[in-house]
Amino acid sequence: MKRRTVTSLLLGGALAALAIPAMAQDYGSFPGYTLRVKLIGGAQYEPLYAEIPKWEAATGAKVEIVSSKNHFELDKEIKQDIAAGTLDWCVGSNHTSFAPQYGEIYTDLNGLIAPEVIADFVPLMIQHSTVNGRLVQLPRHSDVSNLFYQKSLYEDAAKKTAFKEKYGYDLAPPETWVQVKDQAMFFSNPPDFYGFQFVGKDEAVTGRFYEMLVANGGAMFDDNWVPTFNSAAGVESLQFFVDLYNAKAVPAGVPNYTWDDTGLGFGSGSIAMDLDWGGWSSYFNDPANSKVAGNVGVIRAPKGSGGKRTGWSGSHSFSITEGCDNKAAAASFLTFLTSYDNQMVEARKGLLPTRAQVWVDAIAEFEAAANTFSAETMKTFQASMSEDAFTPPLIAEWIEVSNVLWPKLQAAIVGDMTAQEALDAAQADAAVIMTDAGYN
Amino acid sequence: MIRALTTRRTETTPFLLLLPAVVTMLFVVALPLVFSLWTSLTPYKLTKPDTLYDFIGLRNYVRIFGDWDFWVAFLRTIGFLTVALNVEFVLGLGIALLINKITWGQRALRTIMMFPMMFSPILVGFQFKFLFNDNIGVVNNALQSLGLTDQAIPWLVDAKLAMFSITLAEVWMSTSVFAILLLAGLFAMPRDPLEAARVDGCNPWQVFRHITLPFLMPFAYIAMAIRSLDVARAYDLVAVMTDGGPAGRTELLWTLIARVGYDEAKMGQANAMAYVSTILSILFTWYFYRKLVAARRYMGGAE
Repeated sequence: MKRRTVTSLLLGGALAALAIPAMAQDYGSFPGYTLRVKLIGGAQYEPLYAEIPKWEAATGAKVEIVSSKNHFELDKEIKQDIAAGTLDWCVGSNHTSFAPQYGEIYTDLNGLIAPEVIADFVPLMIQHSTVNGRLVQLPRHSDVSNLFYQKSLYEDAAKKTAFKEKYGYDLAPPETWVQVKDQAMFFSNPPDFYGFQFVGKDEAVTGRFYEMLVANGGAMFDDNWVPTFNSAAGVESLQFFVDLYNAKAVPAGVPNYTWDDTGLGFGSGSIAMDLDWGGWSSYFNDPANSKVAGNVGVIRAPKGSGGKRTGWSGSHSFSITEGCDNKAAAASFLTFLTSYDNQMVEARKGLLPTRAQVWVDAIAEFEAAANTFSAETMKTFQASMSEDAFTPPLIAEWIEVSNVLWPKLQAAIVGDMTAQEALDAAQADAAVIMTDAGYN
Repeated sequence: MIRALTTRRTETTPFLLLLPAVVTMLFVVALPLVFSLWTSLTPYKLTKPDTLYDFIGLRNYVRIFGDWDFWVAFLRTIGFLTVALNVEFVLGLGIALLINKITWGQRALRTIMMFPMMFSPILVGFQFKFLFNDNIGVVNNALQSLGLTDQAIPWLVDAKLAMFSITLAEVWMSTSVFAILLLAGLFAMPRDPLEAARVDGCNPWQVFRHITLPFLMPFAYIAMAIRSLDVARAYDLVAVMTDGGPAGRTELLWTLIARVGYDEAKMGQANAMAYVSTILSILFTWYFYRKLVAARRYMGGAE
């Protein structure tokens, strides 16, 4: 009897040892605990959640996905939770552009997540994730835009001669936004072909205007948080979009374009140059989806008149609520979701990682597989992410200011107002918002 | 004493039977209405829950009534409502009359006719947004391939074209509602007056105008009452297609309310606008109900 017990115990132990997944990292042990989470949904984000059972097996905890919605729906839900006081979940998907609005509902991760883990991330990404000195989110993947273009246009001898004659300099992928404007007008042949395109509504156009403003040496606010985007640099930035629209160098529908329209537009082959997010690169080069596959080039975003490159950036991230009853489990979950392995999986799909080592290894992998497009693209984006990327002002009023700004940007683009009038009107509204919020 | 007890029980029975319905109405309808009214009298912001308890009186209402953008959105909503309802009625009536004439395959055709109703407004919005995309959309591609135009028509950018596109999407989605209600009316119509009219020598147009149409009007007014509520609160479709732009050219009441309430978290002001919209809906419903009663009186029906 005793011998049988010992044997079965030994066998059971051996089997259990074989069954434990080989997790290189120790994620702690939280048996019987249910972690409530609200995660962002969508085709781009969900493959990661298929890995969650591995964390559950390693820690003994269970993950309950309370809600899984897109960006904007999740934002509304979180705002409703704040209003109703129903923050009874632990982990939530977050984003650097949205984080400042949520006040102090998320806890500072500097005390929860080991410093060695934080040190593995690209420093600029950690900086972007910090609001008022508190690390309120751990970045999962970041994004920044660079200039995609059709290579064949720049290899065409006839076009090169014609361009040199008209503009006086050689036709090459543009280094500055002034060159982008010249080339866009040169390539355009509406309605079949356009030189450029841009998103024209919602926070999207505010962001594009904002990064142009910064590239041209301007600023959204001064030191006292008075809006200053109606400066000369602001007018120059808005005029860029207005001039392209008037010259029909962009499709007439751009005031209604969002990210899907520009992405699909470039993929349809009717656009010469497109400033777009890194996440689109694999789509552009996929022959099943894109007419420009095999003909796509990428260069770093052009420079504005201030000598700086545009680099509007945001990171998708995860946060832990202050009211979480088991912050250690939540911290472990966060570390797992943003682990080296998981980020490598996402990097292979073309999402830009936030861990420094993942950049290096993913590029090495692409080069080893002779995937020159992905390797070159990733190197370009790595340079942008570490040097050019910047977030909008990390204040709660960013979205409110954006809401009074983008209709005026549209008004200038379609010609209802001049650029100066539009920016002055928006500046007046934005100044009221900032004063009401107590900034000055 | 026993008689007194029995009398009281008989008198209170109706009220007791009504109690569950009244309680439900109270919780589901009255309480939220009262809460919204209260928040419209405060500077309530979703992200600052303590602003719920500051009373500022009618300041929100004064602000919105003095706001030109609000009035433009308000009037545009009424205009959109009027055009959409009338077009849906005419098209729905035409479809119902045609389907009524079909003998073979009518049931299948009736089902197919209902398909647009089954789509979520968000999906309809996306569908038409991509159809009307000026560069890669199907509509412009078709027009250019057929040689009808050499321009990329900005369906969702030009002020008139954008409202036209949104109205088209709305009409496509909801004409089926009118068609099915009017078809029900046609089925319910008694045959005797029609036969009598034909015997008397009326032509088809006279039969339609003097017999069919008056009989159908109560059904039409019911449909209009229901649809006016739906179109007045049109949000998903417009938000997806144009989000009120560009430059506010297609701003309707509810895209404005949703933006102020959720994007800017200014719930107090949004609720003030919502209350004005509610009053508008009540006015429309009352108007259609009066027309409905008048139509039934004309046909000799019950009040």
